[in-house]
Amino acid sequence: MSKQIRNLGVFLLVCYTALFLQVNRLTVFDAHDLQHKPGNNRAVERDFARPRGTIESADGVVLAESVPSNDRFRFQRTYPTKDLFAYVTGYYAFQLGSTGVERQYNDELAGRTLSFNLDQLDDLFVDREQVGNVTLSVRKDVQQVAKDTLGDRAGSVVALDPRTGEILALWSTPSYDPNLLATHDFTAATANAKVLNEAKATRARTFQERRFPGSTFKVVTATAGVERGGVTADQPSYPVRTSYQAPGRGRPISNFGGESCGGTLFPILEVSCNSAFAQMGTEDVGAAGMSQIAESFGFDRDIPLDLPGGVQSTFPVKAVSQDPVFLAQASIGQNAVQATPLQMAMVAAAVANGGKIMTPHVMREVHDEQGNLVKKYDQKTFSTPMSGDTAGLLRDAMVSVVRQGTATRLAEGLDGFVVGGKTGTAQLGSNPPRSDAWIIGFAGPPGEVPHVVVAVNVEGQEGSSEATGGRVAAPIGAAVMKQALTPPQRADQAEGGSAQGGG
Amino acid sequence: MNTTGRRTTELGLLVLGTMFVVGAYLLASLPDDSKIPTTVGPFLGIIVGLPLVAHIAVRRLAPRADGMLLPLASLLNGLGYVFIVRLDEARREPRGLAGLQSVWMILGVAAFVVTLMVVRNARKLERYRYTAGFAAIALLLLPLMPVIGRTINGSRIWVSFGPINFQPGEFAKLMLAVFFAGYLVEKRELLAINRAVGPFAMPDPKHLGPVLIAWGVALMVMVSQRDLGSSMLFFTLFLVMIWVATERASYLAVGTALFVVGGYFAFQAFSHVRERFDTWLDPWDKAKGFQVVQAAFAFADGGVAGRGLNLGVPTKIPVVESDMIFAAIGEELGLVGATAVLIAFILMIGAGLRIAQQAASGFERLLATGLTTLLGFQAFIIMAGVVRLLPLTGVTLPFVSYGGSSLLANYVLLALLLRISDDTASRDMDRMAANQLTEIG
Repeated sequence: MSKQIRNLGVFLLVCYTALFLQVNRLTVFDAHDLQHKPGNNRAVERDFARPRGTIESADGVVLAESVPSNDRFRFQRTYPTKDLFAYVTGYYAFQLGSTGVERQYNDELAGRTLSFNLDQLDDLFVDREQVGNVTLSVRKDVQQVAKDTLGDRAGSVVALDPRTGEILALWSTPSYDPNLLATHDFTAATANAKVLNEAKATRARTFQERRFPGSTFKVVTATAGVERGGVTADQPSYPVRTSYQAPGRGRPISNFGGESCGGTLFPILEVSCNSAFAQMGTEDVGAAGMSQIAESFGFDRDIPLDLPGGVQSTFPVKAVSQDPVFLAQASIGQNAVQATPLQMAMVAAAVANGGKIMTPHVMREVHDEQGNLVKKYDQKTFSTPMSGDTAGLLRDAMVSVVRQGTATRLAEGLDGFVVGGKTGTAQLGSNPPRSDAWIIGFAGPPGEVPHVVVAVNVEGQEGSSEATGGRVAAPIGAAVMKQALTPPQRADQAEGGSAQGGG
Repeated sequence: MNTTGRRTTELGLLVLGTMFVVGAYLLASLPDDSKIPTTVGPFLGIIVGLPLVAHIAVRRLAPRADGMLLPLASLLNGLGYVFIVRLDEARREPRGLAGLQSVWMILGVAAFVVTLMVVRNARKLERYRYTAGFAAIALLLLPLMPVIGRTINGSRIWVSFGPINFQPGEFAKLMLAVFFAGYLVEKRELLAINRAVGPFAMPDPKHLGPVLIAWGVALMVMVSQRDLGSSMLFFTLFLVMIWVATERASYLAVGTALFVVGGYFAFQAFSHVRERFDTWLDPWDKAKGFQVVQAAFAFADGGVAGRGLNLGVPTKIPVVESDMIFAAIGEELGLVGATAVLIAFILMIGAGLRIAQQAASGFERLLATGLTTLLGFQAFIIMAGVVRLLPLTGVTLPFVSYGGSSLLANYVLLALLLRISDDTASRDMDRMAANQLTEIG
């Protein structure tokens, strides 16, 4: 018996060792993943009864704050701007968890970062709970224009400063009122969440949904042409024709309305010539070059935006390497090319900013309650998809698209500024003809790097001609850029100054 | 063997353990407000008084018994109690579990003392093997009776007398261990004879009959009561004991095969078994997996050192006071605390198996092995379920979880182990004394 008893002991020891290893996995190795699993709202729950800092726009408007409540949680999180910044601030709710800035900068808002803790060493004996106030780069005035001009059409507006990557506006319709979800009436919050989810009103179309980019993608193809295909302003000159047939079988790529077009880079971009760009991508650049350039813009990569839940834009790397017909389609933004409006804004930003994409972000600074700077966003280069020379060339090409091409309405109200852009019309169906209208573009004072880049997507518009993007989306882009080029009016200064000390 | 040293060790360890538990309780109560909690008096009475009573009882009734088991059990019990108090206070509507648990702890220690008093010689239990066997079956059938039987959380394993709910299955386990030990000691030589059945060596079915019947009845009752954890535990107990008794590994092979077949049958036949299994493989995105997912989140929040007592949110985990208490420990005491619990159980298993190894009679050896298996496997099954190493089955974590029947049964189990240990040491002393006498003579 003694041998068996010993073996039993060994077996139990093995069992407990397995337990020990599994506990290690949960507490250490998988802990980070588990803590960030959707549905894990423990962090929220722990912090729920603590005070929490405010979230402010760049122009000093309070977007989220905690006000005292008389229930067991002590504070009610409120969003004074209602639906306007829902996709930026996100919500901070008990059962539903948190999203947006509320989630991304939870530690800062709750006052739980290292700098706070060091600060608190001498506060140990003072009964005070330290929190952090987060200042964002988004501007209420620009956001408001985006919302108003888009109106009740479904779609997205992204505006950012290409020099820094700071996001100025991030609006999409439909939006929602975060107060509906943050309420302490949990039955109501859950019911509201259900309604909003069914209406698909809690996903930010700006960076959490992909759409077909249509012809705006030709800026990517043009970049690949110049960088990898030997394309310059003067040559090659693509043949004037109504369609392009890539090597192999499959439907030829036709131009809109069966029209003929062709020529050098500037004219083909001005009229958004499908046959020419299909040929450029297929014959001059090739599958590898197109894929590499697309990836360097951010396609098929995670965009390190400081808001959670973003999706990747996609370029069909595998398909284009197998069939030139697919490559031809992808070169004009068809096939499985899909992009978030944020991604398309980054494409415009690369051209505007001398070829360099700064990492897009919404957080600017974090201050403690005494107004001391605790944290500042550390600006980073996301990627450099093209050289400065290429960027200069494409910038001029996009400016001429606005001067004499499909995007003339992007310059509306922007007299005195250099404006460039590219339209897009992504066909969704032909009976009745419906399409997504796009514009991407930039604007700024002459001789300077443009101060603002914009990407606008208006979903499901009637009509499917190339003019749709220029007619529908361009005026929105123009209005948003105009507001962004107006120096911001700080809300507190407008009201005659407040306690915001320092600077 | 220095047997008075054992009691000194026991007392020392008890003092250490109690200090830890008292410290944990004070820490758990502090973060809310810096006042000493009003319940501190009764709490200290329970946490300091009970181990002391148990220790004095061992000194009087089993002075030469092992000195490790009681302090370990008392540490686990105290730790569990701190958590139950803390968890209950965190509930919006406290269910008064803390008060109930302290009553159960008093009753548990009382049962411990009574067992030591009544069972003066473990070998005498051998006589009652068939009584124990029938008692086990009766206890198991009790919850199926009308009027007194109760179904709680989907398992019909409860018996209700007025306000008191009770799980007779917890005691049936002890009875079965006694029955198996007695029966197997009697028949082990016969059972150890192998007969060639094809290429396999099989025991003679004639001698296997009663055991198979006992096992079958136990298993059927378990399945009909939807208590998978106990079912698994029973089967393991049976398998381990027949293997140790006969020294025939073929029983393990046959038993494991039986288990696989039984498991497959249960999987096919019972939706609740299938559900458990599916949840185990993929707990995400399912309401059914909520428990284990919340447990995993709790461990992840705990990290290495834990959130700290009273600083986590373990009440998010369903039935955290009983089956899932290991997750609460993981959350607030972290990897370190969870490992300490594992080590405590390993040490108890070690002590139990040592008692089995040293026991003089075959019956005592088998009984000690069976009791240790019950303790060690029950703890393993539930902790493995909580951390998703095995499908989650509802059994309590011995000494730690809330639950009266379980606590009582485990204190009786502890007393029986100590009784066997004391018998062994006394017999060795007698033999040494006898040897000295003969030398002199």
